[in-house]
Amino acid sequence: MSTKHYKEKNHFRERFELLDGIILAFLLILAAAIVIPFINVIATSFATQKEASETALLLVPREPTIDNYYRLFQDPRIVIGYKTTAFILLLGVPINLMLTTSLAYGLTHINFPGAKFFFYAILLTMLFNGGIVPLYLLMMQLGLTKSIWSVILAYGVNTFYFIVMRTYMTTLPESLIESAKIDGANELQVMFRIILPLSKPIIATILLFYAVDRWNEWFNAMVFLRRNDLIPLQLVLRMIVMDSVIVNSLSISGPRIPRFTEGIQTAAIIVTMLPIMLVFPFLQKYFLKGIMIGAVKA
Amino acid sequence: MSASSHDAQMRGFKGYFRNLGRGILKYKEKYLLILPGLTWYAVFAYIPIFGLSLAFKKYIARLGLFGSPWIGFSNFQNVFADPAFLQSIFTTLKINAGRLLFVFPFPIFLALVLNEVRLGRPKKILQSVFTFPHFLSWVIVASIMVNILGQRGLVNSFMGGVFGAKPVSFLGIPSYFLPIVYLTDIWKSAGWSAIIYMAAIAGIDTEQYEAAEIDGTTRLQRMWYITLPGIKSTIVVLLILAMGYLMSGGFDQIFNLSNPATIRVAETLDMYIYRITFRGSVDFSFSAAVALFRSVINLVLLFSADRIMRRVSGSGLLA
Repeated sequence: MSTKHYKEKNHFRERFELLDGIILAFLLILAAAIVIPFINVIATSFATQKEASETALLLVPREPTIDNYYRLFQDPRIVIGYKTTAFILLLGVPINLMLTTSLAYGLTHINFPGAKFFFYAILLTMLFNGGIVPLYLLMMQLGLTKSIWSVILAYGVNTFYFIVMRTYMTTLPESLIESAKIDGANELQVMFRIILPLSKPIIATILLFYAVDRWNEWFNAMVFLRRNDLIPLQLVLRMIVMDSVIVNSLSISGPRIPRFTEGIQTAAIIVTMLPIMLVFPFLQKYFLKGIMIGAVKA
Repeated sequence: MSASSHDAQMRGFKGYFRNLGRGILKYKEKYLLILPGLTWYAVFAYIPIFGLSLAFKKYIARLGLFGSPWIGFSNFQNVFADPAFLQSIFTTLKINAGRLLFVFPFPIFLALVLNEVRLGRPKKILQSVFTFPHFLSWVIVASIMVNILGQRGLVNSFMGGVFGAKPVSFLGIPSYFLPIVYLTDIWKSAGWSAIIYMAAIAGIDTEQYEAAEIDGTTRLQRMWYITLPGIKSTIVVLLILAMGYLMSGGFDQIFNLSNPATIRVAETLDMYIYRITFRGSVDFSFSAAVALFRSVINLVLLFSADRIMRRVSGSGLLA
């Protein structure tokens, strides 16, 4: 490995062509197009209104301030947002994981009556779904609208994640299960003592998948909840940003105190984005694995 | 039918059920394991699927999803008489055709170019930068775009500060909407989509490159004549798959990027369903008729894509 790397380096030093320059320049411009907006958002969230409006390309605030964050957290919706999202995450992800894991293990071997039917019935939902209209009416009939459970239960098993997990479990040696069963273990014991410990990497991966999905979730909450005291963080961000879009498009200039809306908006973006930024290194590592397992199956 | 064969048949049935019973008993723990997951699918996936039968009913809240009376096809007559519905289909097709043309090729290009970066570390860093936005929701990405493209945003203050240009409200101008949809789509997901092509490139036999190098080809020639043909089958699969989604997709993006000023060019089928279901006067049967239409069209598109793929590459998308 190390010699190969060395060779590559030599190879590179020998022939840095014009093409390499063009490619690198192109990729750097593209990277800048992605990074600069982020840096600008971070900088604006720490800037004063004066500096933000006077600087053509704000990348590093000269006199950083946490004023915008201070004012953001005075908005009660932010606290509600964090609370609601925390609820959805802490109640939802364990349920997602429990349903997906038990289903994946239970259907790893399609060798019992009905297994094939159940498996294809699950796959079919990837091709055809009812959509939001009947789901909303179902939630109403179950009396779950306006309750956090509507959001939690609407997203139970992600069929793609189920396939990824099941595919992983089929690669575990069957002899282990057989010998445990000869020793008198039942299915539940096999699952908890053998399958789950061996499946730790895939469970960690799927856990991350679900956690990110839950963190980023907003549509179901917008449709089902419609309560002022139960709003996930994503929707709070949307409200804060859309408020200002509407104010700007109507150019309301009443007796209101001129506020630095961009400052609050960008601060709201940062507090919504931060957890994803923090888990991104893990995401990158695990998601790639997940894609590969999924790709093998597809 | 003679009595004896009837008996034999009964024994057959009994035997079958006895075996089935034994099978179920033998695997009772497995059934117990899959029960919660299957219950979830039954309630929250299959009830809504059967709930689409509402398209042929008149919804009465008191009678519910399955108790409302049947009225035949009159909901569909109303749906097809609504000019906004027909317009939304046209808008969806237009936006997705544009995506195929402008957004789809970009990750292929990106993968080809990234593959030519011969320094390990910069390549990794670049890839991280390109994939990061994929993990953000469209709410966050649209919020960033509102900040960048707004009247007092980065683009306007830069253009104003450097060139003295007048501020433009990019997100408020209908003719800018589609280009912004394509550009932000690339911004968010090109790096992620490129990963699949990168994996396909990694699978190309390196001997081909060595042989071509000995023959004195240039790198551009090798990219064009070896790498690109090497990932052709992957491109075809993804292209056909994308065609299967011609009538759907992009709701999160469009919903968060559009505003009252641009809604005229932004109302796709999914946006239309959202509007008629959750805004203004609500007729759930009408919505269900549109939703059923959408699901059926998607299924037809997907099966057509599968058929085309079987013809092109010998194996289908499905199973």
